[in-house]
Amino acid sequence: MISSRRNQIIAQVFLFAMAVLWMLPILGMIISSFRPYAETSTDPNGFFSWPDTLTLDNFRNAWARGNMPRHWFVTFLVVIPAVILVLFFSSMVAFAVSRYSWKFNIALLMLFTAGNLLPPQSIIQPLFQIYNRIPLPEFAPYSNSGELRGSLIGLILIHVAFQSGFCTFVLSNYMKTLPKELNEAAMVDGASLWRQYWQIVMPLTRPALGALATLEFAWIYNDYFWAVVLVQKGNDLPITSSLRNLSGEFFTDDNLVAAGSLIVVIPTILIYLALRRQFISGLSVGASKG
Amino acid sequence: MSNSYPQPGAWDAYVARRSVIKGGAAVGAFAVGGSVLAACGGGDTFSGEIGSASGTLNIGSNASDPAPQAGLQAVVNAFPNADVDVVINTLDHNTYQENITTILQAQDDDVLAWFAGFRNKFFADQGLVGDISDVWENITGLGEGFKAASTASDGNQYFVPTSFYTWAINYSKKLWGENGYTEPTTSDELIGLAEQMMSDGVTPFAFANDGKWPIMGTFDALNLRLNGYDFHVDLMGGNGSWTDDRVRNVFTTWESLLPFHQEGANGRTWQEAATDVEEGRAGMYLLGTFAASNSEAFAADMDFFNVPEFDSAIGAGALDAPIDGFQMVSEPTNEAAAKEMLLHMSTPLAQDAYLSEDPSVVASNSGANTSVYNDLQKKSSELASAATGISQFLDRDTIPDFAGACGDMFAEFIENPGGVDGMLADLEEKKVAIFADFNAG
Repeated sequence: MISSRRNQIIAQVFLFAMAVLWMLPILGMIISSFRPYAETSTDPNGFFSWPDTLTLDNFRNAWARGNMPRHWFVTFLVVIPAVILVLFFSSMVAFAVSRYSWKFNIALLMLFTAGNLLPPQSIIQPLFQIYNRIPLPEFAPYSNSGELRGSLIGLILIHVAFQSGFCTFVLSNYMKTLPKELNEAAMVDGASLWRQYWQIVMPLTRPALGALATLEFAWIYNDYFWAVVLVQKGNDLPITSSLRNLSGEFFTDDNLVAAGSLIVVIPTILIYLALRRQFISGLSVGASKG
Repeated sequence: MSNSYPQPGAWDAYVARRSVIKGGAAVGAFAVGGSVLAACGGGDTFSGEIGSASGTLNIGSNASDPAPQAGLQAVVNAFPNADVDVVINTLDHNTYQENITTILQAQDDDVLAWFAGFRNKFFADQGLVGDISDVWENITGLGEGFKAASTASDGNQYFVPTSFYTWAINYSKKLWGENGYTEPTTSDELIGLAEQMMSDGVTPFAFANDGKWPIMGTFDALNLRLNGYDFHVDLMGGNGSWTDDRVRNVFTTWESLLPFHQEGANGRTWQEAATDVEEGRAGMYLLGTFAASNSEAFAADMDFFNVPEFDSAIGAGALDAPIDGFQMVSEPTNEAAAKEMLLHMSTPLAQDAYLSEDPSVVASNSGANTSVYNDLQKKSSELASAATGISQFLDRDTIPDFAGACGDMFAEFIENPGGVDGMLADLEEKKVAIFADFNAG
């Protein structure tokens, strides 16, 4: 008994220490975002000094200098279509590989899963050149130079391509848990393939779709890499990548960047709080095969 | 008072030397660029004065700091053509600089903020920047030195210089007044002053290298003082050898001065070093005059002097004074408006508007209002006017990849000065490879 109690105490202390360790940088960021730069730069202990003045100036400046309303608008123009498209396409692939068995079933699923393992950085050079060579019609919104590169459509497409691997994997595992008899019954009643997908399988997949939608929203919202590489025009950057505009030529106010970053994480935190259950089930959905 | 650079000779010689190397390729590139321009230059054409263009004009800007950002907005507000809608696309300065190739290839913006000299020619020679010789025909008040710094290998102009700042040795007037220090004019006096500071318990030189660019200024200063402007320009252009005794001499001198510098520079930001000067812990700091932006108190207390003479045969006439300005992409969507804007940017009207928001730099146009200059601006302007050679700073004077290699080497050198011969041999190898790539492609 004594030893298990001791183990429990050790475990508690360990977990507490780890939690503090993890929280420290975040707390440091929150505190410094309320402090003027002059204070952290002149105190010999810098960011570890006790705060004298707390102010909202950094948040005001970050909002104005970062041109945040504009960048948020651009973000939602990218994230909303990207999430809808990725769920639509990957649910169709998942439907096909989970409900019908054909020759390349496993191969196709493996291809999609393997795509998850590919580091995005490895394809950037060819992708950039391909994007440079694909023209966009002039009426396409945010098309800029008239090619896929630099356009928001190009950004949406690459998110759809990169996220659909994971979504297909999760959705196909989930769909495999739905009884096959449902489809058989529908077929007997004369339902077309589309109807089986849209009216039978999709409504039943709603929990998985909800979980994935919240996860995908957070992932695409937090994307930095693709936007930085593919968008050249300052005003067309989504919010996460636009944060670097708070850095100057010779001088970067770290407290201002901390304040800007806090503003930018607010939507993700709100969505997490509102959809906590979906978030957590999203991380485990499809993990156990029925 | 004129603040145009009076020393076009060296630039012209440099331009001429580069023309021999790159001229042939450049003519080919511009023939193609020209025909593309003719093909898509529909609508209004540039009339030589501001007023007839219309439509939307996109300006790509690296002015992510508040003062330059407000300055550019003031320039745009002062643009006398109300028929043009101007959109400013700002990217942070460092990302902009790193991504300039893709930004130029994208051609999303019509006018782009950029640097004069080698960095402008580098892209003009690749056909990514548009010829604005017709704008220059209508420009007044920019000296020959500025024109030379805007001219590419084919003899045409590709850049409009708007402002510049100087690199010098900055100090705190308060500390110097209290301790009775005076500005040295020779290297012996400089070393004597440094020894005096040591005995007063003040570190003579603040030293910082976070980002691996600040101490490029120290290399530039020593090379310009010991070997002169032409040698420096040759070396940056890939022609001189880094295993040359003259380069070795720069590092020998630098090593002898290192004990007067703060240790651990690679982990220190320039702001931290400037704060040490501001608070009297360090006596001098070789940096651009933007050091004054560290704090308002320092701006009021800061003064500077030209890097003193190290060799009387070479003198102390040359210095780093980076020129900022704007260029036009080779395929602008709105060429007429782009050229009108570039013409506007060259005028005292635009430059006075800019300086009213950002008083840390000096106007390029001799007609700009210098009566509003603060002491630092006046001194910068005098320093540049008296200069016998103006370099743009190492990372603007050579191929970007090679500037990176130099930055790595300098950072290693100040940690381990004893290994300098191996590092220089290595840098020379890298130089050969990088320039071979550049000249081939």
